[in-house]
Amino acid sequence: MNQTSVHALTLARPVLRGLTILNLLYAAGIAALLAFSFFIEGWPQRPLGFDLTHAHPNIGNGLRVIIVIGILGAVVVHTILRRLLTIVDTVRAGDPFTLRNARHLHVIAWSVLTLEVLRLPVRVIASAVWEPGRLGGFSFTPWLAVLLLFVLAGVFAHGARMRDDLEGTI
Amino acid sequence: MDIVVRLDELLHDRRMTLTELAARINITLANLSILKTGKAKAIRFSTLAAICEVLDCQPGDLLTFDPTQPSGG
Repeated sequence: MNQTSVHALTLARPVLRGLTILNLLYAAGIAALLAFSFFIEGWPQRPLGFDLTHAHPNIGNGLRVIIVIGILGAVVVHTILRRLLTIVDTVRAGDPFTLRNARHLHVIAWSVLTLEVLRLPVRVIASAVWEPGRLGGFSFTPWLAVLLLFVLAGVFAHGARMRDDLEGTI
Repeated sequence: MDIVVRLDELLHDRRMTLTELAARINITLANLSILKTGKAKAIRFSTLAAICEVLDCQPGDLLTFDPTQPSGG
């Protein structure tokens, strides 16, 4: 393993724990915003401080839907971070090439795909109520990342099975 | 296991201990024990050759196929 990989693994655990906490705080924050949105006078103009004089009449509900999607996204991110932390712990323990980790990677791949799918309605809603007619730029990068994760999960599973076969070879 | 490892008999015939064999073929005693007790999943040709050389036997003397034995490893 080269120096970069060693350093990356050393930093991974505290970074993942920090991101987990930040994600939980983010989810709690937007959940609170969602709850308060039903009681705040002048939602969303007043709390967000935007001049939405000519905004879509449904912008308030549109933002609420985006917040709900954001909370769902935070739940998905939480599962990704927890599984990544589990994988990093197995590397520290010296035994990462297991079928269990391959399953974790597979779930992470599906989770990242879910996040990308969740972004689609957000962009549609934003384009409908925020910037009418403007869907924004499309990027292939996140979708390539999803494909990469699925391939990596498959390769990892194959490697874990090969390692399993070698176990018990004298 | 369907493949029966007759290492105990060969060692007894040659008055050799498992520890001595392990030292002579440069395999850990733990791994050799796994082989002796039939818990190994596979054996490398190099290991088989080393055992046969030290015990002066053929692979067929060391390994036999017995379909009545339960599969393991």
